[in-house]
Amino acid sequence: MAEIDNNSPPSSKNILIASAISFVVALLVLFSFILPAEFGSDPLGTGELFGLNVLGLEENPFEEQLNIHKTDTVEFILGPFESVEYKYLLDMDSSMLFSWVADGDLYYDMHAEPAGLGEEYAESFEQGNGDSRMGSFHAPFTGIHGWFWENRSLSTITLQLYSSGFYVNSTVFRDGGSYERELQTVID
Amino acid sequence: MRGISTIGAKALMLAVSLFSLQAFGHTIEGGDASFVEAIDGPAIGPFIYLGAKHMVTGYDHLLFLLGVIFFLYRPKHVVQYVTLFAIGHSITLLLGVLANLQVNAYFIDAIIGLSVVYKAFENIDGFKRVFGFQPNTKVAVFVFGLFHGLGLATKLQEFDLSENGLVTNIISFNIGVEIGQILALSAVFLILSVWRKSSSYIRHSFITNTALMTGGFLLAGFQFSAYLFQPPF
Repeated sequence: MAEIDNNSPPSSKNILIASAISFVVALLVLFSFILPAEFGSDPLGTGELFGLNVLGLEENPFEEQLNIHKTDTVEFILGPFESVEYKYLLDMDSSMLFSWVADGDLYYDMHAEPAGLGEEYAESFEQGNGDSRMGSFHAPFTGIHGWFWENRSLSTITLQLYSSGFYVNSTVFRDGGSYERELQTVID
Repeated sequence: MRGISTIGAKALMLAVSLFSLQAFGHTIEGGDASFVEAIDGPAIGPFIYLGAKHMVTGYDHLLFLLGVIFFLYRPKHVVQYVTLFAIGHSITLLLGVLANLQVNAYFIDAIIGLSVVYKAFENIDGFKRVFGFQPNTKVAVFVFGLFHGLGLATKLQEFDLSENGLVTNIISFNIGVEIGQILALSAVFLILSVWRKSSSYIRHSFITNTALMTGGFLLAGFQFSAYLFQPPF
């Protein structure tokens, strides 16, 4: 290959060779590293060689859960200006599905506290006013995850929560006190 | 001394090529993605920020701009070319999102990668010496600007953007892109100004642009692979 002569401008041949080298190097890097790491393809066996194949594994739609599947139904009766907090103990990355419905508008705040840390570390996910909400939830950290509901009206409101998920247990916080509830597993 | 600068040039070649690898995750992700999906109504500040962030972290766009200003020494010329690029990408960004132009994102991103190759090839005098003619540089920058803008648009189109406030938000995003571009270019121009004081800048411009070309091929290759490997739906 011709030496790069720094004293005279590159010839057409130099340019073509440089472009070709450029292309080949890119192709090599692509096939050797990018394909295994990003696309799970290992045509040259380099993915195996450098342990890159683990990076290329596709995200599995099925998420393994560490806790057993449980289901829960709970009802709260809230008189005027009464409030209640209900939280599920969930490990990080555990999921649950929920629906709650009330016979009147309630202020709600879906939030969570990381395990072992105080209220100051609580994170709120959604706040609003309404008589029903449903959704799926994926715990961002291990801790207690749930709701604060407050009846800001003058009538008594009944609230029902239905949920199914991979939580451990739940706790009701009411009138300054709290108690735990044991939840039913779906299969024994 | 010559040995050291040659090693330096080779190191740079490797760095620029690896640098372009980081452009791969260049979609709007994570918390920003949740925000864009949830927003309903105008949100000027956030969209300006997102536009700026997208440009500053958009290595495919930045590499192209690096190629463009590599041999531009006077600020006036830098402004001229960058403005052409900005007009180009603004047109297609706005049109793309507002008219909901449907283009394959991987295909467009591959072209953006090739725009880097084109610019690097032009910088090593490839067109004049190999093909005997030089396409109008300004026109090329504008045309590639159009493609870069389409690339920007496809990233936003992935979200079901709320109609409410869409025009305000897209214009804000565009303004952000220009701000990000100015910031990134200033940094690049400063670095280049320092490097340009050394005679190695011109001596190594050939190998530097070859490194840039490699980066461009890598970008294009990655996007093309993503196009081939994409799910069939």
